[in-house]
Amino acid sequence: MTQGHNKQRRKVVKQVISATTLALVASSGLLLPQRLLAHWPREAFNAKTVEDALLALVGEAEQLDDDSIRFTVGSPPSYAVNGASVPVELETSLENIERVIILVEKNPQPLAMLIEPTEHMVMPFKSMIKIAEDSDVMAVVRANGQLYTTSRSVRIDVGGCA
Amino acid sequence: MAIQARDRIRARANGEYTTVRILLAHPMHTGRGMDENEQLVPAEYIQDIRCWRNKQEMLSVKCGTATARNPYFAFQLKGGEPGDIITVRWVDNLGAKGTVETTVT
Repeated sequence: MTQGHNKQRRKVVKQVISATTLALVASSGLLLPQRLLAHWPREAFNAKTVEDALLALVGEAEQLDDDSIRFTVGSPPSYAVNGASVPVELETSLENIERVIILVEKNPQPLAMLIEPTEHMVMPFKSMIKIAEDSDVMAVVRANGQLYTTSRSVRIDVGGCA
Repeated sequence: MAIQARDRIRARANGEYTTVRILLAHPMHTGRGMDENEQLVPAEYIQDIRCWRNKQEMLSVKCGTATARNPYFAFQLKGGEPGDIITVRWVDNLGAKGTVETTVT
């Protein structure tokens, strides 16, 4: 008698269960990190191109090419055997640095690192990044309200964005 | 995932500057890599790293997936003397956290 009825009932039960689960997950704090990290610029980090990433971070701004940034990628410079861990080093004589942005042009998600120093920090800053293939690596420094850009091309033997 | 290795930090003052070096133990999965069974490894990477000296914030670094495995950072702080406490805290995209602390030598 109740084939249809049963089906209906199952559907209702399923919906109730999934609704409860969602409510539980939402209240349990599993989603909390995302909320706490609201200041993590999701849009910029998920951007697929350098332009989008920069747009999300600094808006449209004039970029100056600048020689006062010394930026080294790879070791020896401009070359890396293993793209999974490429040393980068950044030094600059600029004062009042608000932000430093490191972008790898051909990575699936170009934005690699966003550094927000206080006035207590001084360069050089060193770190390691992943680079998927031969690519340009850009460093953008925002200081005194202006953007200073510099770019290095780097050759990679084994891609490292896995 | 269990992380076996320990986060490490070194800080040394030379009068004018304090040099801080940090090596965090983290797999930094991008979400695009495969494991040995050709299954996608879910994304797991550090998003936010902050550094304090004696409870005063010095630096924050936001990372995407392109930071290398076992992230390494080195930088300098103005001033500082032996005995200062340098603290580093990190949070990854899954909400895992770590703290590592050292005394400047």
